[in-house]
Amino acid sequence: MRTIIKMPKEIKREWIQTKGKDILFSKYSEPPILDLSETTSIDSSGIAFLFFIAKQYTGKKEKVTLRNATPQIISAISAFGDLKEEKLDINAPKEHFFLHIGNYSILCFNTLINALSMFAEIFYWASAGLLKKRDIKKGAIEQQMFLMGYKAFTVVSVLSFLVGIVLALQAAMQLELFGAGIYLAPMITISMIKELGPLLTAIILAGRNGSAITAEIATMKVGEEIDALRTMGINPVQFIIAPKFFSFSVVMPLLSVAATVFGLLGGYLVAIFYLNISANLFLNEMIKNVALKDVFANFIKSEVFSWLIVWIGSYHGFRVKGGADAVGRETTASVVTGIFVIILADAVFSFIL
Amino acid sequence: MNNNISHNVLEVNNLTVSYGNRKILDNVTFNVKSQEIRVILGPSGCGKTTLLKTILGLLKPTSGNVKLFGKEISDIEAVDSFNILKQIGVLFQNGALLGSLTVYENVALPLVMHTKLPERLIKEIVNLKLSSVGLSHAANLLPEELSGGMRKRAALARALALDPPLLFCDEPSAGLDPVTAAGLDELLLSLRQKLSITIVVVTHELASIKKIADKIIFLYSGKVLFDGILSDAENISNGPVFDFFHRMVNSLENNFSTYHSFFNVEQLA
Repeated sequence: MRTIIKMPKEIKREWIQTKGKDILFSKYSEPPILDLSETTSIDSSGIAFLFFIAKQYTGKKEKVTLRNATPQIISAISAFGDLKEEKLDINAPKEHFFLHIGNYSILCFNTLINALSMFAEIFYWASAGLLKKRDIKKGAIEQQMFLMGYKAFTVVSVLSFLVGIVLALQAAMQLELFGAGIYLAPMITISMIKELGPLLTAIILAGRNGSAITAEIATMKVGEEIDALRTMGINPVQFIIAPKFFSFSVVMPLLSVAATVFGLLGGYLVAIFYLNISANLFLNEMIKNVALKDVFANFIKSEVFSWLIVWIGSYHGFRVKGGADAVGRETTASVVTGIFVIILADAVFSFIL
Repeated sequence: MNNNISHNVLEVNNLTVSYGNRKILDNVTFNVKSQEIRVILGPSGCGKTTLLKTILGLLKPTSGNVKLFGKEISDIEAVDSFNILKQIGVLFQNGALLGSLTVYENVALPLVMHTKLPERLIKEIVNLKLSSVGLSHAANLLPEELSGGMRKRAALARALALDPPLLFCDEPSAGLDPVTAAGLDELLLSLRQKLSITIVVVTHELASIKKIADKIIFLYSGKVLFDGILSDAENISNGPVFDFFHRMVNSLENNFSTYHSFFNVEQLA
């Protein structure tokens, strides 16, 4: 005995979400008869609803019956119809463990080769190649220096100042217990000049400039502008990256100096107002601990960090395949990789410098 | 301007492009003669854009080769490909104008980068190019300030900056209204006549194909199913070529039969 189900006037999403759900998941021993005599309209959710019920009874002798449907309803159902159901292979094919390790190693190796090759190309065009380049716009390098340097000055200075204050305050609290507040001077001076000045600047600019470079290149790649340059015989690395690389190499050490100075200023203020140390005394102690080799280290680190930021930002930009979500993904990866590599490089420098 | 109409400007020989096990292009072979307008067409997903990018050297083929002006363009980065690239112009689907440069600067770019012409002469050349595409008034605008049709015309002016004898157009009518699209087709025909250039167009727009094509290549699932003149293609009586030109809507018939396989329909008094 087949169940007869009276369908409503409108088989639409609103009905399905409320009363239709019970019918949707009910199981009958025989394919039901759907009485559509009162149905006057149906939407795509309603059509999918009917097909969903019908598919539960495939293989049975009888099919689900549509009774007394109007020609308009039948026309709507047949217009949408239903495509052949293809099994979606949602799960990735399982790879043998050692095969996976092997493929991953090859991928890492190829990535490293491509990245190093790109660095060599960037370095060439930003140094010797810069003399060959004829700017499409006069002042392109100056514009990059303004965007990547001058406009970053405020954020780098303020953050360094605050870090200087926080670092000095935490150290001062401990040093005060031993009456050794004056040792704040060498601590702040050496750590700021040698480590925190360039490192903090690089981390801030990896987020600011690195992501901007990646987003710019990635957007150009998605919009086929990179392909257009290539088909015009213009090397995108020479045209876009080299000016940024050169400009950033010039401004980064300057920003690092600014960060260092503002960090020291923060420490100085903590010494004067928290530890109540004489300004002259603290200043003299700071100056005594400024070593040329530390200043040299500040410069070398900031220079290398600037190269890493532009290199990693460009690499991730050129890697983009797809649309807006790929641009976002690579931009994020660029910042994360950039910060990681900078800290790794800083650790290596700690042994060398 | 090239007046020789007999030699092959473009030769594609047994070109195959695969990603893993999937063949995007399968043994594609055809030639394009000088001053021809050749249209590469086919339904969406047939491999047209992949074919174009492989011809331009932006993608590496799995096998086969491409010869432009008799020389193999195996790698677009290689120094010897550079001279070949100066002889081709490319109009990309969305124009691909550089967003940070004005229309003038975009069109002037190839002239600035590849010639030693003085700036004032470059200005004259750019004005000529922009007026030939009807964009003299838009020289100082940025690409974001242009309509879709204007962007395409600016990109066309840039593609023709170095007077290349060979022009590639990727879906030139895509995203344009029928009137603007027809205007662009007229422009291509007029440029071929005035400049004696060879044009290869990738499109699936029937109206454009009928208007501009000298010969066509029909691509389907990466294979060349037809290579010849349009009227012969329209006379084919079955298969994907027939479906394309006669717009057979097979999907509706399939849906109808599928619906009947799930439901019985009955009318009771």
